[in-house]
Parts: sequence; structure tokens; C-alpha cells
Amino acid sequence: MNRRIRSLQLRLTIELAALFFLASCLAIAGLIYSASLTAGSLADRELALRAEDLAGHVSLDEAGKPRLELPPGLRQAYDTSAQQSVFAILDRDGRLVEASTPELAAMIARSPPADSEPSYFQLSNFGPLARDYSGVSVRLDSAAGPLSMLVAQVSGGGQLVHSILREFVFDIAWYVPAFVAVALLLAAYSVRRSLRPLRTASAQASAIGPGSIALRLPEADVPTEALPLVIAVNRALDRLEEGFTIQRRFTANAAHELRTPLTIITARLDSLEGNGQLFALREEVGRMNRLVEQLLCVARLDSVALDVFSPVDLRQVAEEVVGSMAHLALACDRTIALTGAEHPVLITGNAAAIEDALRNLVENALAHTAPGTEVIVDVGGGTLSVLDNGPGIPAHDRPHIFDRFWRAKGVRTAGAGLGLAIVVEIARVHGASIDVSDRSPHGTRFDLRFRPV
Amino acid sequence: MRLLIIEDEDRLSGILKSKLGDVGFTVDIARSAADAGAALELINYDAAVLDLGLPDGDGLAVLAAARRIGKALPILILTARDAVEDRVAGLNAGADDYLTKPFAMTELIARIKALLRRPGGVLGITLEAGNVSLDTVGRELTVAGIPVRLSRQELAVLEQMMRRFGRIVPKAVLEEKLYGIDEEPDSNTIPVHVHHLRRQLEAANADLAIHTVRGVGYILSETKE
Repeated sequence: MNRRIRSLQLRLTIELAALFFLASCLAIAGLIYSASLTAGSLADRELALRAEDLAGHVSLDEAGKPRLELPPGLRQAYDTSAQQSVFAILDRDGRLVEASTPELAAMIARSPPADSEPSYFQLSNFGPLARDYSGVSVRLDSAAGPLSMLVAQVSGGGQLVHSILREFVFDIAWYVPAFVAVALLLAAYSVRRSLRPLRTASAQASAIGPGSIALRLPEADVPTEALPLVIAVNRALDRLEEGFTIQRRFTANAAHELRTPLTIITARLDSLEGNGQLFALREEVGRMNRLVEQLLCVARLDSVALDVFSPVDLRQVAEEVVGSMAHLALACDRTIALTGAEHPVLITGNAAAIEDALRNLVENALAHTAPGTEVIVDVGGGTLSVLDNGPGIPAHDRPHIFDRFWRAKGVRTAGAGLGLAIVVEIARVHGASIDVSDRSPHGTRFDLRFRPV
Repeated sequence: MRLLIIEDEDRLSGILKSKLGDVGFTVDIARSAADAGAALELINYDAAVLDLGLPDGDGLAVLAAARRIGKALPILILTARDAVEDRVAGLNAGADDYLTKPFAMTELIARIKALLRRPGGVLGITLEAGNVSLDTVGRELTVAGIPVRLSRQELAVLEQMMRRFGRIVPKAVLEEKLYGIDEEPDSNTIPVHVHHLRRQLEAANADLAIHTVRGVGYILSETKE
């Protein structure tokens, strides 16, 4: 098979086209062959009829000798100098009754006696005009007793038949390309139709990702030949999903199990009196607590289908987050404020998840801005924004800030690089968009835009 | 004052017991929902700390059972942050406050004390923060032992802030508390009272600072040295 043609559809179509073409050629050749056979036998029949006709005009004269008496029209036809049709007749005693040409008279004299079964022959370069003849030799009964007849006609005498045949062939030949084209179109359409389930399966396959691992290729309507492949792919996906689920459950469990010891460590450290090292240790444990929370959050987002169809008041969410994070901001010498809508801003989503997203955005802003600056949470129509007066995000870092565990080079922060990844994941399950832009004169603005209700 | 800690993690409850013991509480520990139910029925605790994740049942069931038999003791629930539904359900089922794990010991103690200081609570009537002390019944304020005179409105604002020391006090809460006192409270009333209160505290050398969280409310904290 041609290795350059990878498309099954194209390949099938080309092969079918070749097949159609070959089959039509064969059919036409067969037709021509059988038609020419028919033409030949028609010519033979004509010769035999002519012989019978001639024999019918032979009778005995007064002297009891056989004599040919042709009607004037017929005689004229045989007498034309063109010698289109020639004949020679012998009586039962082998005497010449009549011959239209001397050459044929000589020939019949040389021939063996004719049989009642007609025998056909060909003559080439015969007679004074050196033409090709087809002829028949036959013994026929007549009023003058049995006669040996020799009747010949210039070859191609069945020209009418042949011209009809030729016309027919040319007509058919004309139809062949059209027929092939139509058949090809039908074949291409049918092949395309048969391959549709495979295209559907491909579309489905391209939708499968880490976030939609439960999707499977449709097995219904898939052609029998392709079904084993589809089933095998689905089985492979089953195994992958299982592995994925185990992995996610592990992350969630690990994070969950880390909580209790962390709570205990935190409590014990709180109760210790000590120097600056103890303070540093407490800070580190605090970071670890936060990291475990974030890991748990990521694992939960990965493994649990979030209910995002409840009414959520963005204003209330923002108030909750700003309120609960205010002491954190104060503790690190920053201020935090809530601006924008003072009335409820309703969207459809999951309040806890949106709270999480906003908390992470605020944490991010607090971590990347200078002490004494203000972080603003703004509530707009269907939008939560977090604005800061920090250094801004360089353009070359923008594509990466939402990646898991990514951190800007050279920036010392406590975070693990999970915060914005959590935000983007929560935005994704809500069908919300997250945009980053610069503020003037400096600073960053994150906009979390939810779909209108 | 007697507390019941309902927590199945022994190491955690051990620490809680010793730390709360250090600040003067008598602490009993229940390891399961069944133990907790029995203990609550038998002893009149002053407050309870309830972990919602228990081995033999839902912490919420313990909460509901306690309320059903008429126990009015303040109950603080411990939940994981991701279990927001639990938190909401807990507050709906009659919990008085919640703390998400992991929490700081000082925070837990402050919350328990705040609960016990609520009207009807056993921790007396005096709120204390920094060098400021407020008698909630006698409406008397002292800063470093020296009496300070405040208007009723300012006292009401300060009381709310001291009850929620270190935590946000939403503007709406203050408005609600002032509603009965002010004749015509409007959107500017609260900032004006807070402004006066700040000046008074400053003048009296109180080591407390009122921070404004624009758009949300206020936070009372100790001034940093």
C-alpha cells in the first residue's frame, strides 16, 4: 500500500476509483467483443440468406438444363462492376450454372463439392479489384435439384452493423468517466459516513484531560474493525483513571493526616518560652500549615466535583475574606480594604471555593507588596478584583504565574507557588476568567470575572 | 471553670488540657460522641470545645443533643478549613463560635474566654485588653487603672471591639448595637464614634489601636511596641 497516503478515506476512495475504472473497461471490452461476434454471425447469416435467395431463382429450362433467372433489380445488383457481391453456382453434375465473375467460376471448379452444412471462408486480394471477401459455400436444393453455391461479399459488408457498434461503443465510452465520477462521489460519501463514528471518538478523545478523566470514547456505532482499538483505549483510560484517583486520594489523605501533627506542633510551640529561634520556628510551622492547606485544596479541587450551581453573593464573599484576613494584613504592616458594590452581587457558583480563590489572591498580594501599602479587594458586577501597589509582574513571568509550584526568580516569599494555581483551577470550574494587568503608576490588578447569571 | 474537650486525637487533647489548665480551666476530655453525650448530661460544664470529626459519629449530633436537653453552655467547634459546610451546619445547629484547624493555642484561649464573657457567661462582667479594662455592667472603663469617661455610644463600640479583640468587627454589627442608643444613626455615625473613641484612648495612653478595614469594619489590637 502506498505509504504516503495516510488517510483511510482517501485510500479507500482511490482504490475504489481504480476498481471502478478497471471494471468499466472490462465490461466495455466484453461488450465490444460480443457485439463484434454478433456482427460476424449477422454477416454470415446474410451470406446464407443470399445463397438461398439465389438458389430460389434457379429453375430448369426447356432443355432440362438448370438456369438462373434473376429479377432485373437483383441482377443489376450482382452485375455492378464494383463486384460488391459475387456468386458461382454448380448443378448436381458439377457443371457451371452461372458465375458472376470468371475468377469465382474457376474457384468453384477447383473446390470440393459443397456440403449441406454451410462452410464459411475468407478471400483476400481476390479478383481483378483485389478486394477481400467473406464467403460461404453450401449445397442447397432447388427446383433444378441440388446445387453447389458459392456466395461471397466484400468484407466489411456488415458496415452498418459495425458503425452502429462503433457509435454504441463511443457512447458508452463517453459515459464511463461520468459513471466513474458519480460512483466515486457516492463511494467517498459512503466512506466518509462510515468513518463518522471514528471522528466522533477522536473529538471525544481530545476532550479527555486531567480535569475530565472520567470521559470515555463512545463505543456505539463504531465500525467493527475499529471497535477493538476503541475498547482497548477505553480500558487504558480506565487504568489511568484508577491510578490518577489513587494518586489524588493519596495527596488529599497525606495533607489531611499532616494537619493533626501540625496542630500539635503549633500548640506546643505556642506554649514554649524562648528566643528568636523559637519565633523563626513558629513562622516556619505557620508556612507549613499554609502549604498543607493549599495542597489539600489542590487535591480537593482535583478529585471532587465542585457544586458550582448555588447562588453566591460576591460582596458577602469579599467581606468575609477581607474581614478574616484583616488581622493578617495588620500583622505584616499592610492595610486591606474592600471597595466597590455595597449591595449584594449575585452569581452562580460555590461560595467556599470563591472564598478560597479570593483568599489566595489577597495572600499573594500581601506577600508581594511593600509594608505600609494597601491591598484593595473590589467588587464589581460579576467581578472580584484584587489590586495592589507592588512592583507588578514582569511580562515574561505572566505566562507562568498560574503554574503549580512556580515562583518568581529572586523573589523571597513564603509561599509554595500554589496559591495562584488554586485560583486558576477554581476559576476554571466556575467558567470564570482570570486576568492580570498593570496598575498605574505601579502595581498589579487581578480580575476574576464570573459568567453572568 | 470547667471545660469539656470533645476530641478523639489524644495528643491534641492532651496539649489542650495542659494549656487550658495553665490558664485556670478544669478540663475533661471526651474521646467519642457517646462519651461526650454522657458527660454533658452528667456535669454542668461552663463551655465545650467540640471537634466535628469524631470516630463514632458526627460532632453535629453531639451539638444537637446538647441543645435538645436544654444545655445552654457555649460550644466552640473545631473544623477543617475545607469543611465549610460543617462550619455553617455547626453554627446553624447552635455552636457559638468556630475555629479552623490548625489553630493557634492563644487564639483558642481567647475565643473560649470571649464566649465565657458573653452576657450570662461565667467569666464575669469585665472585659480586658491590654491595659484597658471595661466593666460591661457598671459601664466603667479604666485605662491602666485610671477611670476614663466615655459616651454610651463610644462604650458600646468599645465593648463590641473588646469582645472580638483581634478580629474584625463588621460595621453592620456596630450599627445594630448603636441603633437603640443613637436617635438617627446614618452611614457616618459609626466613623464619627470610632474617631472620638480613638482620640479618647490615645489621650488616656491606652495601648490599644483601632484599625479601620475600609469597606468592612474595624479591628482592635494592641499597639506595637
